[in-house]
Amino acid sequence: MSGSESYKLLFIGEPGAGKTTCIESLSDIAPLVTDVRCTDELARLKENTTVAFDYGELSLGDQGRLLLYGLPGQSRFRFMFDVVRENLLGVIVLVDAASSLALDGLRETLDAYESAIRELPCVVALNKNGKPPSALLEGCEALLRERGMVAPILVADARRREELVRMFDLLFMMIENGVDPKTPTGEATWH
Amino acid sequence: MALTEASREACATALDTLLARCDGVTAAMLAFRDGRPYVDRVRKAPMQGKFAAMSSSLVALGQSILREVQGGTLDHVLVEGNGGKFVVASIPGSGGLLVIAVLANHDARLGLVLGHAKTCALAVSAAIA
Repeated sequence: MSGSESYKLLFIGEPGAGKTTCIESLSDIAPLVTDVRCTDELARLKENTTVAFDYGELSLGDQGRLLLYGLPGQSRFRFMFDVVRENLLGVIVLVDAASSLALDGLRETLDAYESAIRELPCVVALNKNGKPPSALLEGCEALLRERGMVAPILVADARRREELVRMFDLLFMMIENGVDPKTPTGEATWH
Repeated sequence: MALTEASREACATALDTLLARCDGVTAAMLAFRDGRPYVDRVRKAPMQGKFAAMSSSLVALGQSILREVQGGTLDHVLVEGNGGKFVVASIPGSGGLLVIAVLANHDARLGLVLGHAKTCALAVSAAIA
């Protein structure tokens, strides 16, 4: 990486998984947020939802800048991926670990973005619950394994920048060591 | 703001009027601000649900750009290619609840399309008030 370059990182996940919070926590600039108030049953869980994308920037010092994109969680906005897909460095998949439907949310995300996740280095981050139940961790691992995907799974609080930086460390380690996300070993790494 | 069956029918009538009165308009849709379809009317091929999502994204991005450049409130977003035109605008008085999307042929007059789209938006606004 060189100081003048910029790299794109994508945040995906179910509605309410914490994508907007992640970008707000990380961005050095005032983030672009395209939230509107929910008009469907999602309004019972959260007031606002993203309808285009969230955008922020994070300085990597002399190594360049990270451009942070967060896509809407609903699959009807899947087209937005084609808008941002060029030159993506990697993908962070966020999971609302406090939700009883967390595995359903992850399943929908993996189904909607499976091709992208297969092509790019990927980290799965369990948010909103510092001590997720082992059943959730095992469920996430099983979902990845049944799709032949490889991704580290870690627990991270989207409000805490230092915890999010750990995700980047993992992602960059995968990139630098040439981890092939298409390797169909079905193994996921725990952190 | 509660949307009733009567207001839905009135909105559909407003879209029918738009298609009937403006040459070149091939489809019109009302969508919720978070990207779900509400009512649509078409001359030819059906307007797919993804247009609702794209329309809400366009309005949100248009509003964001205007906020960044202190450009005031959004009037409409126009996407124009050599094969057609796509106009999206918020419905006034709906508190941002609905957006209108209008699809027109490339030879449709832009001024007419915009004018009829705004007239339709006002009719929808009255229907859901």
